[in-house]
Amino acid sequence: MALPNPALTQIPDSYKYGWNDPEATSLNIAQRGLSADIVEGISRFKGEPEWMTKLRLKAYRHFEARPMPQWGADLSGIDFQDIFYYIAPTNKAVQSWDDVPDYIRRTYDRLGIPEAEKKYLAGVGGQYDSEVVYHNIREDLEKQGVIFLGTDEALKTHPEIFREYFGTVIPANDNKLAALNTAVWSGGSFIYVPKGVHVELPLQAYFRINTENMGQFERTLIIADEGSSVHYVEGCTAPTYSTASLHSAVVEIIVKKGARVRYTTIQNWSHNVYNLVTKRAVAYEDAVMEWVDGNLGSKVTMKYPSIYLLGERAHGEVLSIAFAGSEQHQDAGGKVIHAAPNTTSLITSKSISKGTGRTSYRGLVKVYPGCEKSKSTVRCDALILDEEARSDTYPYMEIDEEDVTIGHEATVSKVGSEQLFYLMSRGLSEAEAAAMIVNGFIEPIVKELPMEYAVEMNRLIQLQMEGAVG
Amino acid sequence: MTTATATTLDAEAIGRISDHLDEPDWLREHRAAWWERAGRTPAPTGQEEEWRRTDLAGLPRNGELLVDAPQLIINVPGGLRDGVILTDIRTAVRQHPELVRRFLDARQGQASHAHFWAVAQAAWTGGLFCYVPRGVSVDGTLVARTSLTDASATYLPISLIVADEDSSITLLEEVTSPDGAAGWFGGIVEIQAARGARVRYANLQQLGDGAWNVGAQRVVVGQDAIVTTLNAEVGSKVTKVGLDVQMAGPGGVSKVLGILAAGDDQQIDINTVQDLAADHTTSDLLYLSALYDRAHASFYGVTNVRKGTRQTSSYQECRNLLLSPQAGAEPIPVLEIEANDILRCGHGATAGAIDPTQLFYAQTRGLDHDAAERMIVRGFFEQVVAKIEDETIRGRVLAALAGRIGTSEDLAA
Repeated sequence: MALPNPALTQIPDSYKYGWNDPEATSLNIAQRGLSADIVEGISRFKGEPEWMTKLRLKAYRHFEARPMPQWGADLSGIDFQDIFYYIAPTNKAVQSWDDVPDYIRRTYDRLGIPEAEKKYLAGVGGQYDSEVVYHNIREDLEKQGVIFLGTDEALKTHPEIFREYFGTVIPANDNKLAALNTAVWSGGSFIYVPKGVHVELPLQAYFRINTENMGQFERTLIIADEGSSVHYVEGCTAPTYSTASLHSAVVEIIVKKGARVRYTTIQNWSHNVYNLVTKRAVAYEDAVMEWVDGNLGSKVTMKYPSIYLLGERAHGEVLSIAFAGSEQHQDAGGKVIHAAPNTTSLITSKSISKGTGRTSYRGLVKVYPGCEKSKSTVRCDALILDEEARSDTYPYMEIDEEDVTIGHEATVSKVGSEQLFYLMSRGLSEAEAAAMIVNGFIEPIVKELPMEYAVEMNRLIQLQMEGAVG
Repeated sequence: MTTATATTLDAEAIGRISDHLDEPDWLREHRAAWWERAGRTPAPTGQEEEWRRTDLAGLPRNGELLVDAPQLIINVPGGLRDGVILTDIRTAVRQHPELVRRFLDARQGQASHAHFWAVAQAAWTGGLFCYVPRGVSVDGTLVARTSLTDASATYLPISLIVADEDSSITLLEEVTSPDGAAGWFGGIVEIQAARGARVRYANLQQLGDGAWNVGAQRVVVGQDAIVTTLNAEVGSKVTKVGLDVQMAGPGGVSKVLGILAAGDDQQIDINTVQDLAADHTTSDLLYLSALYDRAHASFYGVTNVRKGTRQTSSYQECRNLLLSPQAGAEPIPVLEIEANDILRCGHGATAGAIDPTQLFYAQTRGLDHDAAERMIVRGFFEQVVAKIEDETIRGRVLAALAGRIGTSEDLAA
């Protein structure tokens, strides 16, 4: 029997964090649009070394020359000449929470950062617009030699290690949007974990877009040296504006022999943001790389965290969750490239589409010749809540080695009438039952999040499902 | 029999086909319209998602077009009765022009293969026409065999199979050609199953080792019709086939089966579409490949559940057994789901070697490595073979596969 579910079709697409701060728009130093002069100007303003200025200009030429990607989501709404490429709300990074300007603190207060810091954080790098404005790292980490800085600051204070790794995982000419990021990047986090050091608590940073048509181009570089481990957590929310913004980050991660990195993102950009992000990690011998990637907000997201398994026995995991409400398209997934023997990988994707929302899983598993005994499992589940919603699965597999075990499985379902009936027979309303089913559906991923993020994720899902839970 | 030739396919050459076969005006116009359409439908450039894995540069486009088609050898157990027609399509044009004209339709082929569909609709010189009238059940298995004698020729046959309401038929088509030169076999197949019809169709391809098999098939499944298709790809150098399964009427069921056994430098690239466009339709696809030597199999299949459809059920499964370090597979099962009231929807794809413990076990029972491997591959194919209800088809398919995977009798010997 067909399931008419009025409760689910009437969910409003409310956006809880859609406030903006009027004071925050006064500190623009740049203009809309992009040219070689602006790219050079950004580099000069930041006082960067010559090699970075040249790299930015080279990347800008790549960006100019490359066509827009014609696959995946509809990007025709992006006007690159109508975007701010650089804005600095304050001129210097500050160390104490008290020194953070009031209007920025108000925004963060509403996101709950200080409380989270007290309880869980090892350090906070909060990015407000393009500059890192707040940085704090616990003393014991500093003593261990862990570097956790804004990327701009790291370029100044640790130039050798910066230059050794920057742009090595995602070169300037990798794709059009990575080229754009390389040309105009600003902010982001730089993390270096020395050999054998285990960072016990997650390192966190919040990113936020706060100016209309403000492009956010943060650049994150994480190096986990041999035998070390670190968990980095990134979460985003943004004010709602009527015209589109662009967020195009680049994240590069190097996981050396025997090291372990987990990178967790919860993305909740407001529904006018194009979120086009390139994230890639390389994992060497016995290393473990894990991406936990949650996509809830934005108008369009295209993001496929990838892992190159370059050393024997390296292991990669991508856990991806996507929620697309009306007018949203989450085109997300993951890629694993097996380039060494005995490497293993696991991609798990859970996606939910509601209203007229569309989720697409797009992924790649590639095994090069000679990578014997490699194993990969890809599991995609999609839940379609409404008649107008849509879900796609595009799992690419290129297997050029015989002695491997590669599997992919996907299911698409709706909230089953039997499931609803069962829960309602236990006394729940239809709306509560539906919300419970959705929560159960995403549970395998939520349980991998740090606790306050799991709480935040549940809250965000609840918000998205608001109409359903009554 | 003489072979008229045309080295270049153009409007004039298309006209000469009609002249040579002394065709009626409506067919001349049909060909001209399709040729014009072929010109408007660009050939794949290699940039399209479905064409990225097969390089068409080597397609022997300038071979001689076989205007005098090879004889279609038809085997009908018990003879044709009750108005059932199974004949060479040229004969059908002469004897049943109104029926051929009615069913030779003008609908565009599957988007990715539309160019080749149009070319074959314009330039076919042979093929098969099968019609089963309303309510007629054909007993036994009809077999139609084409044996090409010239490996280098271009042959673009059309097979048109129409099962009217509540009829039933089982049909096996086989094609063979000599090894050696590169030729282009561009067969297109259209199966129309009207309301309540039951069609079991198998296509056993054993082309020579130089052949380019670039063709397409369309299956239109009407209300409450049940259609099973099996494509067994054994021969050819390159096989690039589009298979478009349209679940057009409510309650229709399709089973889409495929067996690929490839070795040497064979390349097999299959594009399927399962278009669930009506309520309560069911479409299950299962393709199995065994890949030896440097063989490469690609599978790009799309399940599309159309907006507003209710209670559809579909599955797509593609499994690849890699039997050589140089073999490769790219199974890509795509879902595009635009409705939420679905009964079942999913897909699975695997690629990998034989489980070494299975090989070891078989060897402890006294088999040598190769015999054990052949037995395991036969077991792997059993997933599809067991679904072939018809004994004639099962026997022919197993015989065609024996060159690669032996037979169960080998074990006794």
